[in-house]
Amino acid sequence: MSDLRAGLETYLTQLWGAPTAVTNLSRIPGGASRETYRLDADTGGVSRGMILRRDPPGSLIETDRRLEFLAYRTVHGHVPVPQAIALEEDGGPLDRPFFLMERIDGGTVPSPFVFDPYAEHADALGRQFFSTLGRLAALNHEDTPIRQAAEAPAPDDCWRIALDHWSGVIEADEQHPQPIVRAAIRWLHRHPPPPAQRISIVHGDYRSGNFMHDGAGQILAILDWEMAHLGDPIEDLGWAFDPLWNHFDEGKVAGLIPKAEAIALWEAASGLTVDPEALAWWSLFNAVKGQAIWTSAAKEYRDGGFVDPILAISGWYTARRHDLILAERLAALAALGETI
Amino acid sequence: MTPALPDILRGNFMCLAIPGPPEQQGEFMTGRVGVIALLSLLAAQEVERGTTARVWENAAIATVLADAADAYGVQYAELASIGPTDLSLEALDRANAALRRGLIALHEAVETAGDLARHRAIVGLYGEMAEKRRLDLPPLPAR
Repeated sequence: MSDLRAGLETYLTQLWGAPTAVTNLSRIPGGASRETYRLDADTGGVSRGMILRRDPPGSLIETDRRLEFLAYRTVHGHVPVPQAIALEEDGGPLDRPFFLMERIDGGTVPSPFVFDPYAEHADALGRQFFSTLGRLAALNHEDTPIRQAAEAPAPDDCWRIALDHWSGVIEADEQHPQPIVRAAIRWLHRHPPPPAQRISIVHGDYRSGNFMHDGAGQILAILDWEMAHLGDPIEDLGWAFDPLWNHFDEGKVAGLIPKAEAIALWEAASGLTVDPEALAWWSLFNAVKGQAIWTSAAKEYRDGGFVDPILAISGWYTARRHDLILAERLAALAALGETI
Repeated sequence: MTPALPDILRGNFMCLAIPGPPEQQGEFMTGRVGVIALLSLLAAQEVERGTTARVWENAAIATVLADAADAYGVQYAELASIGPTDLSLEALDRANAALRRGLIALHEAVETAGDLARHRAIVGLYGEMAEKRRLDLPPLPAR
């Protein structure tokens, strides 16, 4: 029996107060910020399908697993997500912090880097994907679990908090000078966006590749809430629209539907409007945020002994792709403006 | 840019050579091999284009720095004279790091001065730098 399986049996037996056997334990590909496993937990003749999310020795980004756990608890019933079951911040018998959720079976989560993954279901999935994001933006989070761990920023501080955080990550983790992203950071500081229309729960990584669908046009779950926080809901829209996630189709966002349609769906579901100036700012910001994540990935790849290929591809391919995206956006801004 | 090509190729070797625990076989290992295959493809592109891109970028940044020396200070002419000790990736990257630091400092000075023409020229250089270093992912079919 593996150490992980034995640790899980010990933990679940204590949690439920009944002998529990763990079967079919297997790691799921992806998930560079958390190790993700599927398992069946058998107690008293009842089998429960579960997902384990455990902190890795090194990760793509340092994220707060408590915040992620509380985000799942908060949005459950409003947004399709699995139910969060238990959180262990000190790791207990699994050595590293982890949490457990129910497992949703029968779905698929395509890689963000494949061609046309949604085929004839792209339109239906796109409508659900952006309407769901709009509902998340509209969700009242006062007195909800996430407020135990997330502070609500002032509407005109959202941009500064987000930019300071991610530019700080670049400052801390950069191993080779990056003039392109630094120029973008300076531009963002010089041209702040309008204040947030409301303070919403921001998923933080809302994109193609982070939702599960049933292969027949139905979204089953929005996943990977590890970067959830409170802030300007336009942030999520900018990330979902990033060309990195477009599946080689420049006519659609997230490989799903045209951008204008996505905005209309989001506006209808959120009750908010998309200010083009705000979206432009958050779009450039998200390319900076991406570059910060990839910069951390490169550092973690090195610090971890070069053994996680997900960190390699993040620190290498996606970093260069975001340099291209940033350079294109900076060129467009430089051509437009009469001042710097 | 990091990680460097030798890091990635050594990493791929170790990733495949070190056996994982039982729960990391099957689907997880299949996915991991797929990522390693992609890294190998990108590594081929880097072998083909990486040295040329670095030599070009170092020369292009040096030209921008040298051109700016009269207006922004002799330190940029000194930075422009930095060259690699040899044509190894390591030496080219070392020179590139120094040149890029100079370019960052120059661009900040250009922005402070409100020098729109030079700002646009530097932003144009960024586009060329990113393009020369681009890696092309093939449009793989969804499984």
